[in-house]
Amino acid sequence: MSRPQVAPRLQRVLALVPWILAHPGVTITELAARFEVSERELERDLELLPMCGLPPYTADRLIDVSVIDGEVEIRLAEYFERPLRLTPAEGLALLVAGRALLGVPGSDAEGPLASALAKLDDALGARGRLAVDVGVSDHLERLQAAAAVDERVEIDYYSFARDQMTTRVVDPWRVFHAFGTWYLAAWCHRADAERLFRIDRVLAVRPTGERFDPTTRSDDETRDLVYRPRPEDPRVTLHLAPSAEWVVESHPHEAATRHRDGSWDVALAISEPAWLERLLLALGPEARVVAPPELSTLGSDAAARIRRRYD
Amino acid sequence: MADRLERLVNLTATLLDTRRPLTLDELSERVEPRYPEEKSARRRQFERDKETLRELGIPIRIETVDGFGAEQAYRIHPDDYYLPELALTEAELAALHVAVTAVRLEGDAGREGLAKLGGLAGAGADTAVAELGVTPGLAALFDAVGRHATVTFSHRGAPRHLDPYGVVLRFGHWYVVGHDRDRDAPRAFRIDRIEGAPQVGPDGAFTPPAGIDPADYVRADPMTYGEDQPIDAHVLVDAPRAGWVVDQLGAESVVERRGDGAVVVALPVVNRGAFRSWVVDLLDHAEVLSPPELRADMVAWLDTVAGPAVSDAT
Repeated sequence: MSRPQVAPRLQRVLALVPWILAHPGVTITELAARFEVSERELERDLELLPMCGLPPYTADRLIDVSVIDGEVEIRLAEYFERPLRLTPAEGLALLVAGRALLGVPGSDAEGPLASALAKLDDALGARGRLAVDVGVSDHLERLQAAAAVDERVEIDYYSFARDQMTTRVVDPWRVFHAFGTWYLAAWCHRADAERLFRIDRVLAVRPTGERFDPTTRSDDETRDLVYRPRPEDPRVTLHLAPSAEWVVESHPHEAATRHRDGSWDVALAISEPAWLERLLLALGPEARVVAPPELSTLGSDAAARIRRRYD
Repeated sequence: MADRLERLVNLTATLLDTRRPLTLDELSERVEPRYPEEKSARRRQFERDKETLRELGIPIRIETVDGFGAEQAYRIHPDDYYLPELALTEAELAALHVAVTAVRLEGDAGREGLAKLGGLAGAGADTAVAELGVTPGLAALFDAVGRHATVTFSHRGAPRHLDPYGVVLRFGHWYVVGHDRDRDAPRAFRIDRIEGAPQVGPDGAFTPPAGIDPADYVRADPMTYGEDQPIDAHVLVDAPRAGWVVDQLGAESVVERRGDGAVVVALPVVNRGAFRSWVVDLLDHAEVLSPPELRADMVAWLDTVAGPAVSDAT
């Protein structure tokens, strides 16, 4: 038999009671949906209440619950008339979610979400204390609109990893924000596969005059957000100065060894050479390619190539 | 389990209803189901209950009363407990439900908060529009902002004392912004670079200036945030990356548009290391034009990375 945790149940009871007090006659079905529990569990919560109240627990001091035809009423629980305050984490979570959604193009700045946030701001004393900037890219609204009406479009896209401009026809499924940038999840006709595009690397969007079949949409687009090495991707081993330790922390690596002097040897899989070029150009003397030998001059070759622009 | 839940509800009700703080002995005489007779078992169970209430954010005040010797007594102050009257409409609750389902945050705090406000109204959103990270320490810092409490933390190895004015999410990172007491200047700190848990001082330690926007404390781009004297740089960016750069810096940064689609952008540089990384990230598609000082910096850096072979050749 499973033993439900006492804290979540207490939390629910303390939220339920004020709601029922404010809405006498609310049905068990509605309460169960609102508070995300089964009707059976909700009934168990309600069965508990008549045993609760204030000392000395005489009839006039115990919470009075009546359920008639599935409609609930509570009396003698004035001290639970209002719900418990939001914790800082709860208040923050609600405000962040609301502010972020208001920042998405097309949201109603005057609607119920905005007024709910204004009330929360006042109650929490949070007015002007929180800013959530999800950023807006040039082509975001255009792609959002295309996704909304299943419009097939042609895009010019800069492939960062390959350092290449491409033009491709895509079926835009959905745009979404993650980890600080906007993405387009789409079917790419050039790759003939599902692809994620960073919208800040989309340089142009053109209509094709076609619609796509919306039933082809997939809803598991976030799985490619993080680079996952494939067996055929090249591997590189870097020697890093102690000051470049952040590379070990912020890139998925396959092996890392810390030396006595604080320097590191780290083995990484790389998707495209341009990615490694950038890393080596940014790190400069803080990094050196240990293996394989054919990549040992990648950074210096890139630097020499770019250096020619300055001659 | 049912007994313990019952006692927790009754304990909350009693502490909330009482006009004066109650000692553990007094609570034991009143609250049902009864705490054990045996003193240490009683204390242990009470402490466990108190901890559970605290975890839920139920604020128990501990006061000292004069009994036979000073004794600790407990109560919940109604002002600490009750949610201020919000008067949210059903449409507003439904809008918040859409928000917590459309914007995914780690953890359940949003849904738990919504339960206190009246549960899940309406249908919510079918798919997520945004996924945002939450950094440890964020809620505590946000709380300190509201309390006007000075926070102390270690950031990149240096101790900092900050009067926090707000928290900001930008470029996928959380910042706490405010007045840096050590430097006597406005500052923004990336919260994920704070080492360990920030320490929160007493309430009401400062008065935040009126009418500020915390977002202004985080510069438009992380690259332009730093300690160096600001210098205006002009950078030529070729067509393939021009659109992206203009997106990032804003159209007002463009000082010249060339026929081949390239642009020249102007940007203030206050962190030379970050500026250099930004330029090399554009690979062959960018060139620092001016000032000569930054152009020379760039050339020197590329020469260093290119190594002796190139120096010999030039």
